[in-house]
Formats: sequence, structure tokens, C-alpha cells
Amino acid sequence: MEQSGASLLERDLAKLIVQTLKLKADPAAIEPEAALFGEGLGLDSIDALELSLAISQTYGYQLKSSDPQIKTIFSSLRALAAAIEKNRTK
Amino acid sequence: MSLAWRQQSERGSHTGIRVMVWVAQVLGRPVARLLLYPICVYFLLGSWPSRRAIAQFRKLALGRPAGWGELFRHYHAFASTILDRVYFLRGQFDLFDIRFHGLDVLDRELAKGRGCVLLGAHLGSFEAVRAMGLLGRQLDIRILMDEQNAPLIRGLTQALNPAMADTVIQSGGVQALLQVKECLERGGIVGAMGDRVTPQDHAVACTFFGHEAQFPTGAIRLARVVQAPVVLFFGLYRGGNRYEVRLESFDDDALLSHNRRDADVTRDVQRYAGRLEEICRLAPDNWFNFYDVWHRSN
Repeated sequence: MEQSGASLLERDLAKLIVQTLKLKADPAAIEPEAALFGEGLGLDSIDALELSLAISQTYGYQLKSSDPQIKTIFSSLRALAAAIEKNRTK
Repeated sequence: MSLAWRQQSERGSHTGIRVMVWVAQVLGRPVARLLLYPICVYFLLGSWPSRRAIAQFRKLALGRPAGWGELFRHYHAFASTILDRVYFLRGQFDLFDIRFHGLDVLDRELAKGRGCVLLGAHLGSFEAVRAMGLLGRQLDIRILMDEQNAPLIRGLTQALNPAMADTVIQSGGVQALLQVKECLERGGIVGAMGDRVTPQDHAVACTFFGHEAQFPTGAIRLARVVQAPVVLFFGLYRGGNRYEVRLESFDDDALLSHNRRDADVTRDVQRYAGRLEEICRLAPDNWFNFYDVWHRSN
């Protein structure tokens, strides 16, 4: 499957997700708009936490529990990439 | 373990709990404890799914069928811990004789400044964790739990100690886990249960009293992800006004010599189940999972 119009950051982020969570999936097969957690890739909230640590390390964006947008941020690759783009420090 | 516990409604109405709180506070613990007798007889005779589960557990744990007296004692231990929760929540620890074992384990972990995960079970009273504040320790304790499935307990906590209700982190979702991570980063303690499977949980099959039972991996995986040490916590009820708090280190050498994230979670959950089994043998009346634990979940 080809990612339909994924940005460079989205593609990098897909790789980071696969690498961090040791998924067998092909990063290019993660659809930018598809649900990341729950049914989609079978990821749970602990995976999301692990991913947030990797994002903090890679992009210098520390996700916080007080962020009201937290659920939206983790809803898809695209939403996550957009939040990183906005908040990244490296 | 199985999801069967979720299918059992919490017996005892809100009114019943309110009456109990009133009796506990106004008439005092000795009188309230007398009332536990008819209440326990009522549940012993009236709640056969829980009675069957207790009988099944005791037979496996003790290797012989349980008589009515033993079943009654089991209900009575449970009812006692529920009643004592009222006093624990109000900070009336002077009513109790609480013995602590292994506080040095906790001190050692906390001295490293990165907090720790206290891994407990529905065995005795996890609420006894609050008693640790007694020992002159300023502990930042949060408890990760599925409060939505314990509305009575939640109501009780909110009524008696709203500040303590705020220390509960409602499990489920990344926001809760970020709260856990933030608490640990401040050097705080996060309490979690390792024995009941919820629909959101990953679970693995473990040997528990010689038979296969499902245990959730969540608490241990969480600790590994945030690289926090795990300390086992058991608040055992020992009859009368006696409690025994046991803290034990859990992270073994094999784990410490590797990156925590790569440790074998399944192996660790089995180690937890094994230790839980040993503690259950020491205090079988404290087992408060009143459902068929060995039933395979789907």
C-alpha cells in the first residue's frame, strides 16, 4: 500500500513508530488519516506512552497530560505529525 | 484473569454503604463490626456466584474443600477491610495495629529519585498504602485504577476524603499514563493492581495455583516503558484490628542487568503471579477476587 500524499515528517514519524514499538508493519503502509490506536495497528495506550517518549527524544516535543488536545493528537499519523511540527524544538 | 468479575454487579446498595459509613463514624468500629456478622451471613447465603468462587479458590489454595465456617470467615475478612476503608480514608490509623515489612525496599528505590510502581492485587487492603504516610514519610502516592467499575468505592472516597479522591488516576487512555509518567518523574509512587484483566488490557496466561489463569501485562509493561522500578505491595488483613503491610522488591538481577524495556514481560507477569500465589497461601482469607479466576478470557 502506498501512503497517499504523506509529508516527509509523516513518513519519518511512521518509521519512528514502527521502530519504537517493534512493529512488523511496513512504515509506508501506515495511512496518514487512519486511526493509530485501537483497532488499526492494535496499539494500546502503553504503546502511545512509549511513542510519546520517543517523540520527546527525537523531536524535543514533550507531551503532557494537561494538554487538552491529547486524544486528538494521537488520533492519526497526520494529527501527530501536525502537533510535532508545531511544537518541535529539534 | 477472566473478565467474569465485570459481569457481577457490586452487591450492596449506595444506601447500604451510606448507612455503613454512618454506623462506622457515629457508633464506632466495635459496633460496626458487630453488624458485619448479619451482613456476612446475608452474603454467604444470598450470593452463590461469589460463594462458589471463594470455595473454588480456597480448595485450590488450601488443598481441601472449604466448610461454611471458613467461607463465613472469608466474607468477614472482606467486609472488615471495606469497613476499615472508612477509617483509613479519614486518616484514623491509630485504631489499628499495622506492622510494616520491607519499608527499606521502598526507601532504597525512592532514594534514587525516580519514583516507583507499587504493584498490588485485590488481596487484603490496598488502601493500607495510605498508612505509610504515618511513618513520617511525605509520600506522593497516586493510584491508577478503573474507578468507573467501582462507583461505590469512588463515592465513599469522595465523601470521606475528597483530597484523596484526587490522587486516583482513572485508567484507560494515554492521558492517564502521561500522568503516571509525570508522577514518577517527580519521584512519586504509582500504585496499580496486577491481577484483574479489563477489556483494554493485554493479558497473558500464567500458572496460578497449578492452573492456567489470565493476568494483565499492563502494570509491568508500563513500569518498563517509563523505566521505573517495581515494588510489590500487599496490605494483608490479619483479623481484629491488625494489618500487615509487605513491600518486596520485584526487579531481579536479570532485569537490572539489561535495558528494562527489553525484559521479557511475560516472564515477569508469571513471577508476579507466582509471588501472589505464595502470599495467598499465607493469607487465604484476603483473596478478594470473587469470580472464577481460572475461567479463560477470550
